[in-house]
Amino acid sequence: MNVLNQKNPVRLSDVTKYFESGGNRTYALKNISLEVGRGELILFLGPSGSGKTTLLTMMAGLIKPSKGSVFLFNRKVDTYSPKELQKLRACSLGFIFQTFLLIDSLTVLENLRVVLRFSGYPRKETNQKAIRLLQQFHIEELAGKFPVCLSQGEKQRVAVARAVANDASLILADEPTGSLESKQGFEVISLLKKLSETEDKSVVIASHDLRIVEFADRVFRLEDGSIRGNRPASFRPLKPYSASEHQIFAGNG
Amino acid sequence: MEVYAIRTLRSQPLRLAMTVGGVALCVILMLFLISVYKGVADGSVEYVRHNHTDLWVLQCNATNILRGSSFVTASQEKSIRELPDVKSVSPVLLVLASVQKDGKEKTVFLTGYDITKGSGGPPQLALGRHVQRDDEIVLDRSFAAKFGFDIGDVLHIQEHRMKVVGISRGTNAFVIQYAFATLRFTRKLVGFPGIATCLMVETNNRESLGKIAQQIKEKVRGVEAYTHEAFLKNNIREMESGFLPLLYTVAAIGGVVLTVILSLLLSVNILERRKDFSVLKTLGATGLFLKKMIIEQALLISSGASLTALFLFFPLVHVIGILSPEVSVKATIVHIIGVIFVVQVMSFFSALISIQKLRQIYILEVFR
Repeated sequence: MNVLNQKNPVRLSDVTKYFESGGNRTYALKNISLEVGRGELILFLGPSGSGKTTLLTMMAGLIKPSKGSVFLFNRKVDTYSPKELQKLRACSLGFIFQTFLLIDSLTVLENLRVVLRFSGYPRKETNQKAIRLLQQFHIEELAGKFPVCLSQGEKQRVAVARAVANDASLILADEPTGSLESKQGFEVISLLKKLSETEDKSVVIASHDLRIVEFADRVFRLEDGSIRGNRPASFRPLKPYSASEHQIFAGNG
Repeated sequence: MEVYAIRTLRSQPLRLAMTVGGVALCVILMLFLISVYKGVADGSVEYVRHNHTDLWVLQCNATNILRGSSFVTASQEKSIRELPDVKSVSPVLLVLASVQKDGKEKTVFLTGYDITKGSGGPPQLALGRHVQRDDEIVLDRSFAAKFGFDIGDVLHIQEHRMKVVGISRGTNAFVIQYAFATLRFTRKLVGFPGIATCLMVETNNRESLGKIAQQIKEKVRGVEAYTHEAFLKNNIREMESGFLPLLYTVAAIGGVVLTVILSLLLSVNILERRKDFSVLKTLGATGLFLKKMIIEQALLISSGASLTALFLFFPLVHVIGILSPEVSVKATIVHIIGVIFVVQVMSFFSALISIQKLRQIYILEVFR
C-alpha cells in the first residue's frame, strides 16, 4: 500500500478561494477549516454555486487556495510539483463524476485498465486486476461492453470501480447520484459507504441529494462558500431510501 | 500501442477512411513524382550511357546534348581523325524533326548516326531491327505507343517518306522522344552535308584519355572533348537542373498537404474528445502518455495510408502507362522505402503540431 495512504488524506486550514475578474472579487469559499479522517464518509450539501465543487477540486490539489492552506496527506499542497500532483492523482485519489465520464471508446475493462496503467500497475497484470475489480462490484458481465451500452446505474458502478482501481485512499465524488434514479443512487452510495467502512477509504461527496445524509459520518452544509452547519437535525433526508432499496443492497451483498 | 489510440480513430470510420485516403493520395503523388523522376532521369541519359565511347567531342562551350546546341564541322572532324592517338570517329547529328502521320505532326529528337559503325544508335531495340537505309526510321517505344505507330508503318518527315523498321527502348526523355535514322538522311534533312552535333571518338590509348582530350582541344579549334564519364555526368546534371526543382516543389507541396490533412484530423480528434483527455489527465495520465497516443495515431494513419498507396500505386502506374506512354515511370525499392520514411517523418511532425492542442485542455473541465 502507498505510504501516503496511511495518513489522514486532507486537511483544510482557514481556506478561502476567490476569483477576480474586472476588479471584482467573487468568493467561492470562505474560511473553511476541516479535516477528513481515514475511513470517513463526508458529505457536503448545498445548492448549485455554493462552492461544493470548488472544495472538491481543492481537495484534489487541482486549484490552490487564495488564502489559508490545504494539506494533502500531511503535506501542504503548494509544495507538490505538478509531476507529484499527477502521481498523487494516479495513485492515491479516486474520482467519481455526476455524468460518469467513462471513456466511450474503451470497454468497461479497458476503462479500468487505463487507470491501473497510470498508477504504475504492471501492464501485464492490469487485465487480471481489472477483472477482480469487476467481480468485486458484481459487474464482471459488463467487462467487454462499451459505456454506451450500459444503464446509468451500471455506468456509475463502473465509475466507482474505476475510482478505487488504483487503491486510492481518498475518493472524491461530485454529485455521484445526480444522474441516477432513486434505486441506482442508493446502490452507488451504499457501495461508497461500504468502501469507507470495510476498506478504510475516505470518501468526500459533494451533492444536493439529501438522501445521502443517512450514510454520511459527517455532513457539512455549504452556502455561498461558507459552512453554515454541521449535521443539524434539519438535515434528515426528506425522503429516505426505502426498505426495499435497502433489501436490494443487502441482496447484492 | 495504446488501445485508446486505435479505438478513437475507429470510432469515426468515415473520417478515418477519408484521412487515410487523403494521406494515401499524397503518398501516391510523392511516389509517382519520384518514379517519374527516375524514369525521366534514366530515359534522358540512357542514350549517352549506352553509347559508350572513349571521348565525346562537341562544339566549344557545349557540355551536353540535352539542352543547348553544338555544331561540329566536317573539317574539324577530319582534323580529329588525323590525330595520332585517334582510332575512329563516328559523327552523330541530333535535330528536332516533325513526324507527320494522318495529317498530324509530332516532334521527335531525330538522331542521325553512322549505320556502318553502329555508334550513336538506339540503346536497345524492343521490336524490329536497326535502320539500314535512308528511308527507314526507328521510333521510341512510348512515342510509337502514344501515336499508334507499328513496325512497317509509313510516316513523313518533311517531304521524305520513311518506314518504321524498329521500336527502341530507353529513349524517352519525357518532354521529347528519340528517333533514329541514317546520318546521311539526317544531314540531308538539315541541309548541311558534313555537319554533326557531336563526334564519338575511339582512341588507341585508353590509359591517356585526358591527355588525348587535351590534345584535341589544342589542335582543333572550336571543339571540346569529354571522357564518357564526364559527358554522362554533364548530361545528368543538365537533366537534373531543369527537372528537379519542379519535382521538389510539387513533392514538397504533397508533403505539406499530407502534414496539414493529418494535423487537422488529429487536432479535431483531440478537441472533439477534449472531455476524454481531461478525464485522462484527472485520472493521472502523464503528458508523455497523452503525447505518445497522438503520435501513435499519426503513425497508424500514415502506415495505413502508405499501405493503401502501395496497393494502388502499381495499378495506377499501369493505367498511366496505357493512357500516356510517354510518361516513363520507374519505381525502385530504395525510392519506395525513402518515400515511406519521409511520410512517417511528416506524420510525426503532424503529431507534434496537434499535440499543442493538449495544452488547451484543462483538468477542471471535468468538474463543469
